[in-house]
Amino acid sequence: MMRASLPALALMAALAAPASGHDTDPPVQPEAQIAAALTEDVVEIRSTFAGAELVLYGAAVGLEPGDDIAVVVRGPVRDLRVMRRQRVLGVWVNSDPVFFEGVEGYYAVASTRPLAEFATFSALRRNRIGMEHVRLSAPDTERIETRFGVPGVVVSDIGAAIVDYRAAVVRNKARSGLYVEASGGVEVLEAGLFRARVVLPPATPTGVYDADVYLFRDGVPIAVRRTSLEVVKAGAERAIYDLAHERPLAYGLLAVLLAVLSGWLASVVMRRN
Amino acid sequence: MVYLPIAEVSLNLFLLLGLGLGVGFLSGLFGVGGGFLMTPILMFLGVPPAVAVSTQTNQIVASSMSGAIAHFRRRSLDVKMGVILIIGGVFGSVAGVQIFALLQASGQIDLVIALCYVGFLGVIGALMLAESVSAIVRRARASAPPRPVRRKRTFIDALPFKTRFAVSGLYMSVIPPLALGFLVGVLAALMGVGGGFIAVPAMIYLLRMPTNVVIGTSLFQILFVTALTTVLHAARNQTVDIVLAAILIVGGVVGAQLGARYGQKVRAEELRAGLALIVVAVCLKLAWDLAAEPSDLYVLIEVRGS
Repeated sequence: MMRASLPALALMAALAAPASGHDTDPPVQPEAQIAAALTEDVVEIRSTFAGAELVLYGAAVGLEPGDDIAVVVRGPVRDLRVMRRQRVLGVWVNSDPVFFEGVEGYYAVASTRPLAEFATFSALRRNRIGMEHVRLSAPDTERIETRFGVPGVVVSDIGAAIVDYRAAVVRNKARSGLYVEASGGVEVLEAGLFRARVVLPPATPTGVYDADVYLFRDGVPIAVRRTSLEVVKAGAERAIYDLAHERPLAYGLLAVLLAVLSGWLASVVMRRN
Repeated sequence: MVYLPIAEVSLNLFLLLGLGLGVGFLSGLFGVGGGFLMTPILMFLGVPPAVAVSTQTNQIVASSMSGAIAHFRRRSLDVKMGVILIIGGVFGSVAGVQIFALLQASGQIDLVIALCYVGFLGVIGALMLAESVSAIVRRARASAPPRPVRRKRTFIDALPFKTRFAVSGLYMSVIPPLALGFLVGVLAALMGVGGGFIAVPAMIYLLRMPTNVVIGTSLFQILFVTALTTVLHAARNQTVDIVLAAILIVGGVVGAQLGARYGQKVRAEELRAGLALIVVAVCLKLAWDLAAEPSDLYVLIEVRGS
């Protein structure tokens, strides 16, 4: 409670300062405003990394009873190939690949209440909030057509099967803790202060993460605030990874040299005994 | 927990050390590399198959190095035969790493690795088991081993490019050792094994090399082929995890020492029967994983370089 309030109060002060400073030209006061910050904005992956837990603190100015807050953290995008296993001669074989472009490597959504209770479907879809609304586009299987007189309808070549593929992506990511949905994960403290826990699993991908805070009123977001964080490899882990990818040949030779030396050392020790 | 920078997973350090120790113990006990056990176990633990295979080749470099030095000192290796095997192995390794990269791109690498393991481990485990059980039975009946049959001429004797292998006391074509070296090179790249479990029986039964130089020559070849395979995997696929390799090497070296000492107290037939049982067990586990209904019918494969 104390830990939560102090940084959040500082945020409130920061928000309030510019508004009171300019009394000559009063700015158009928006309905509500959000400030947010994370306890860490850089997460380092070192040799003992086994996941991380951060807290997103914030303040919603103009928060009224009945308003809700949703926090969405989206990780760096990667391309993904999803394959369906099929039994061939008694053995399960990967088949029918579908290529998904720019899939978020991490996706966490936390909210004050279950999403469907305070937000309209179209608002969730448009802002991609919630596990059913994660962006999963498979450009190779999609065509844009005019259907029933409506232009620009996205049609999938593989029909209803694409639904299974999309569900499989979310299910697999959720299993490794990379896709999380926590209704009730945003805690409103007092006077518009709130906090949400962000749990990064050991398999967290490296890159830039965006944390978006949405303030919902009457089913639609009336204020949005983005803050970001970066997950980086650090220390020896980073040096090793960089060497392996930037100078792969030198890295391979180094690996062999180390192995040869330790093998030789072992045989020397062996002879002494 | 220790984070492996290339595998990008966190695993328990003591579990990995223990694994290295255990597999090293078995390899010291039975005189095998242990790659055929370690690679599947790493995959069971969640290390990506590509990283498991390439990192394991790196570990085998260390274990075959210390083994090869010992045989070199005792002069129990045929360098000329070894060099010809290595020449075959270089081509095999290059081909294997290319095949590996292609399979990885098409999403079938896990299947092919598992099928290779089931096939090879099944055949070899069954043969070893049959052989060692019959040896134990024979000893129980206190009968003499069957007299070796006078070797017949085979197609191998008809091949051209013959040369003399002084240490092995052979005069034979270079084609069979080249082909054997090639096969072992492909296996090293695809399966993360030294290939001793193929090369040793092949050298004894097909090339008819004297048993005392077979192990040393095999280790000599494995050393060079796995070293090359490690470099190729690192350069082509960036899948060698040096941290994982170092942990496995430390455990493996200590375990091999313990195994070698313990091995002097146990009888050879029982040892081989024990190894055969382990080989068959790993094979059955892999076969079960291939045939059993997977927990999820869909797999996600990250497309690299995006």
